[in-house]
Amino acid sequence: EIKNIVYPLYQLGNPQLRIFRPSWFLTLVRPGKEQPPDTVQFRIPMDMTKYDVKNYLEKIYNVPVGVVRTRIQFGSNKKRNHLNQRVKKPDYKVAYVQLAQSQTFTFPDIFPEKDRTLKEGSMEEMQEKFMEDEKQRQKSDPRRGGVTEWFGL
Amino acid sequence: MAARIRLPLLLPRSFPPLRSLKHVHTEAVKEPQYPPIVASLTAKSKSARLRQNEERIKLISSSPVEEKLSLITRIQRMKFVVYPQTFSRNPDRWYQHFTKTAYIPGLPEKFNPTTEGSQLATDQPAVPEIDDAAFSEIRDLVTRVILHEHWHKMRKRQPFLYKHQEQVVGPFLKTLVSELTYNLAKYNPLLRLSSLDFSPQVNFYWRRGKRIIPKGHRRGRQEPIRFQIDDHPHSQIRIPQQLPQFAPLEASYTAEVPEIHLAPNVMPLFRRQYDNNIFTGAKLPDPACYGHTQFHLVPDRYHRDRLARQQHSDQVEPFLRANAAASLFAWTGAQAMYQGFWDYQDVSRPFVSQAVITDGHFFSFFCYQLNTLALSVETDANNPRKNLLWGTESLRLYEGVQDGAVVGLDDCVLRLLVQFLMNRPHS
Repeated sequence: EIKNIVYPLYQLGNPQLRIFRPSWFLTLVRPGKEQPPDTVQFRIPMDMTKYDVKNYLEKIYNVPVGVVRTRIQFGSNKKRNHLNQRVKKPDYKVAYVQLAQSQTFTFPDIFPEKDRTLKEGSMEEMQEKFMEDEKQRQKSDPRRGGVTEWFGL
Repeated sequence: MAARIRLPLLLPRSFPPLRSLKHVHTEAVKEPQYPPIVASLTAKSKSARLRQNEERIKLISSSPVEEKLSLITRIQRMKFVVYPQTFSRNPDRWYQHFTKTAYIPGLPEKFNPTTEGSQLATDQPAVPEIDDAAFSEIRDLVTRVILHEHWHKMRKRQPFLYKHQEQVVGPFLKTLVSELTYNLAKYNPLLRLSSLDFSPQVNFYWRRGKRIIPKGHRRGRQEPIRFQIDDHPHSQIRIPQQLPQFAPLEASYTAEVPEIHLAPNVMPLFRRQYDNNIFTGAKLPDPACYGHTQFHLVPDRYHRDRLARQQHSDQVEPFLRANAAASLFAWTGAQAMYQGFWDYQDVSRPFVSQAVITDGHFFSFFCYQLNTLALSVETDANNPRKNLLWGTESLRLYEGVQDGAVVGLDDCVLRLLVQFLMNRPHS
């Protein structure tokens, strides 16, 4: 709804600033370094402030927020493309949100390991068996103890 | 063997006397005295580093106290600056982990009036009570001080934003402490020899835990995590004799200290490099080198009304506990170091101090017992001792001041305060 709006500076007596249907979107990310259990890490748009994040989470998502700390991560400008021009990785703002009321949050495992059991009698199972047999044939005799075929009869 | 010996061309007339052969056997029995085989001191190897550390430890252990302090705090490196009054969330768990302190809710048996009868038999006699006449005198004194500050004193203008605590409650606490100490000196002779400091400095430097340096020319190597506390309590009382312990050393073996395996900078805690200071509030030759009580003022920033406005009321108690743990650990640690104990020479007797943290209306009482100074990784490996912190919740002293009279003065809180100040070593 809102794009590129510059709000006038707040002066004493001005009405409370309210934003309806903000066009800011937060991204929950897995922390790179180990964080305490009550800390949640977000990537937020550069225009957002700590107080914006706090109000956003409290009003829209009903999350009890204690304290928010933000920092801006510089995206590197070092890499060069095939024309030797510098390629910039975009900067982004990171917010560390500590939850109130002693709530905890752990980032879930989005890509869990799948069980690789194949169906009986299927094509994939036969192919797996065949590949395993081939690998077994290629291996040398274990009784030779790693000595190559060059030495021998 | 004899046939193989090459005899000289001209054999002497008589062979040299075999007198020396008599002692050959006994000489062979005495072991040859070689110098002890130890690792090198200057090689570029891990064992040389270990030997350098051992030599340094020996040098520090054998030097007098002043030199010891200067040798321990000589090298400056990046360290975490621990502020006892901090805005972080749930700082009490973190500070307990840094200082190896176990928190015990409630005060030690000494201060509990209900168990007085049973305690007299044990080795910990209760704090001597003062009789009712003296107590009513104290109560009148306290009402006088409260009225003086909040009612009689003419203030031309209200204190500006966030200056109320330092401009109103600060002087109130100062007068209260000085008047109470002076009045109780007739019942507690130790207070006559004590020294009352206003806004003293208390500093302490220690190392706890290890981390692997992630980047730089020292990458991959182990580094101890260093901490420094620079505390400015409102006032403190220092005494020439040590207070008796609240609990025996062995009782701390079963206490529980919260373990946090995350780096301290996540708390958030910030690193700086500057002078490493260890200071109790007075320099080393001062005779009043042991601590009695500290008084802390809660600044406006952490006042419970402001925290309630921000819906952080549950952070009031952790803030007070963290303040007490950090300040008292720094004070008792500095006292112990002034006596010559340090990381590798652990304290032989527990060091005890008390603290009262207040914001004008609410008083919280804390007692701290330092059982161990050995907090670095090598010395902490087999150290079962833990430091102990006893503490109360915040108790309201008085409701308010109306029409020139103090409303709702709580006697229990006053009694606790008096007991705290009356605490003395039983001779």
